[in-house]
Amino acid sequence: MRKSFVLGLFAAALILGGCAKKSVEIETPQEETQTTQQESATTVTEGEGIAEVTPESSMMSEEMKIQKMKAIQARAKKIYFDFDKYNIRPDQVERVDYDASLFNEEDAKEFKIRVEGNCDEWGTDEYNYALGLKRAKSVKEALAARGVASDRMTLISYGESNPVCTEHTRECWQKNRRVEFTLLP
Amino acid sequence: MRKLFFMLILSVSVFSADLTLEIVKEVEKRPLISVEDASVSFSDGLNRKFFKMVLADLKVTSHFDVDESYKRASFDEGFDLASYAKNDLILRVKLDFDEFGNLYAAIKLFDMKKREMAFQKSYKIRGAERYPFLAHKIVCDVNDYTGAEPVDWMRRYVIFSKYTTAKNAQIVVSDYTLTYQKTVIRGGFNVFPKWGDKNQKTFYYTAYEDKPVLYRVNLYTGERKRILSSEGMVVCSDVSRDGKKLLITMAPRYQPDIYLFDTVSGELKRITKYPGIDVNGNFVENGSKVVFVSDRLGYPNIFAKKIGSVGVERLVYHGKNNSSCTAFGEYVVYSSRESDNEFGKNSFNLYLISTRSDYIRRLTATGVNQFPRFSIDGESVLYIKQFQNQSALGIIRLKYNKNYLYPLKAGKIQSIDW
Repeated sequence: MRKSFVLGLFAAALILGGCAKKSVEIETPQEETQTTQQESATTVTEGEGIAEVTPESSMMSEEMKIQKMKAIQARAKKIYFDFDKYNIRPDQVERVDYDASLFNEEDAKEFKIRVEGNCDEWGTDEYNYALGLKRAKSVKEALAARGVASDRMTLISYGESNPVCTEHTRECWQKNRRVEFTLLP
Repeated sequence: MRKLFFMLILSVSVFSADLTLEIVKEVEKRPLISVEDASVSFSDGLNRKFFKMVLADLKVTSHFDVDESYKRASFDEGFDLASYAKNDLILRVKLDFDEFGNLYAAIKLFDMKKREMAFQKSYKIRGAERYPFLAHKIVCDVNDYTGAEPVDWMRRYVIFSKYTTAKNAQIVVSDYTLTYQKTVIRGGFNVFPKWGDKNQKTFYYTAYEDKPVLYRVNLYTGERKRILSSEGMVVCSDVSRDGKKLLITMAPRYQPDIYLFDTVSGELKRITKYPGIDVNGNFVENGSKVVFVSDRLGYPNIFAKKIGSVGVERLVYHGKNNSSCTAFGEYVVYSSRESDNEFGKNSFNLYLISTRSDYIRRLTATGVNQFPRFSIDGESVLYIKQFQNQSALGIIRLKYNKNYLYPLKAGKIQSIDW
């Protein structure tokens, strides 16, 4: 809230600044107009200064795009896996369906999707990273089968390096064996 | 000699436990050594730490019977021979700083059997924090005096990656006990370090950028060369003895397989083609074969494949979750989870096998034992042990059936190489 207020102030300051500049510029064309009027032509070119506002407004839309992307990303559901497995469990299919329809929404189609595979702490080094990658691959293929364009998706494995839960309990390990998504512009 | 030993071990499996006892008997005949601290007392206790390090090093050689009591002495006085009647050797150590600020150690080794000074020597090293290397060198020299097999592996570096925060890891170079540590790569996500040559002048590691990238770094100049990158994952799993060939796990189409990379020609050759997981390739039998971990039977296990041939050979018929391995010559050490479901006990043990026989030897008995790595001479295995919420660095002296543990203050280790 406070952030948007500050942003608003910033934008207002820019617009006001733009206006002030514009009025200065208009003074000169007016003089020109007067002189040209004295000669013959009547070309009036005031208003060009307004264009200076547009880069700011496009930055606003870029900002809005990121916000939209983050909002879609927050709605995505994590897909959980069994111990040492990378096939999609029957109870996770509904979540995959949900994610596929989310990523197929018109608003979401402009974004790329990084599918991130994660593991619990029980694998050993290389195998755990490969397991995370295979989990991401399973999800990518399931999403592709549900109409999400393959070229929108890239995969990465973080092995056991990115836990959401750090207690040494079964519940915790279950939460860590997951695929999650990061949307990219 | 090594062959002889393994033949000895092989016969253990044939003639039951008798030969194991034989080994222990042989070990009991080790020379008894005492260590005397002749240093002034350091305010930070460095002389005590140094003393402990020398004792630990002597023990881990497996070539000595070590008197663990702390003894003080004056460096220039004679040895109190009467109180060392049963000893074979007495080592006197004086730790100090020289006029240039180097850590300086003077030692005397007295041979009780010959009743004479074996040798007197001095050593120095820049930077007091590097004292473990000073201790390792002294113990190597004391060991050599007895005519026992060299223990120069002690003087080698260990390189490892440790997690700092989520998706962040740094690469650290240390001595073999992980006491001295120096971070060489920090910032970002840096994993899977592997020595690039037998002299430990270069190493490979993976950095996560837009995608994972494999780099080679010169440890001394800091020069960093990009080798290759791959979608999904890229790991340098093994480097050939001559340093020219690498076994790389990578997944250009998100499919983890093992590739052979020629660092001279730049040629990249795919070795495995299974649509599941193939990782952790290790050269065996002079680089003609690759031992690796694969889930081709539905669970991780150890397999071998001759480079250039199609057939794959299963190496291990034991355990349901064997997910990491290290190899030397024809020997493979793998870690095996003693339960194949998540509700079983979380215990991992290390096992030793030969690619040329069906012999299996269990190397650890309790706790979670992972990240096995052979020493450069193949006689020892370094590993990480978790036991009752404590981490330790373990060294197994294969020949002597001895296992040594050091408390580990390194955080969570991602991967390690020796």
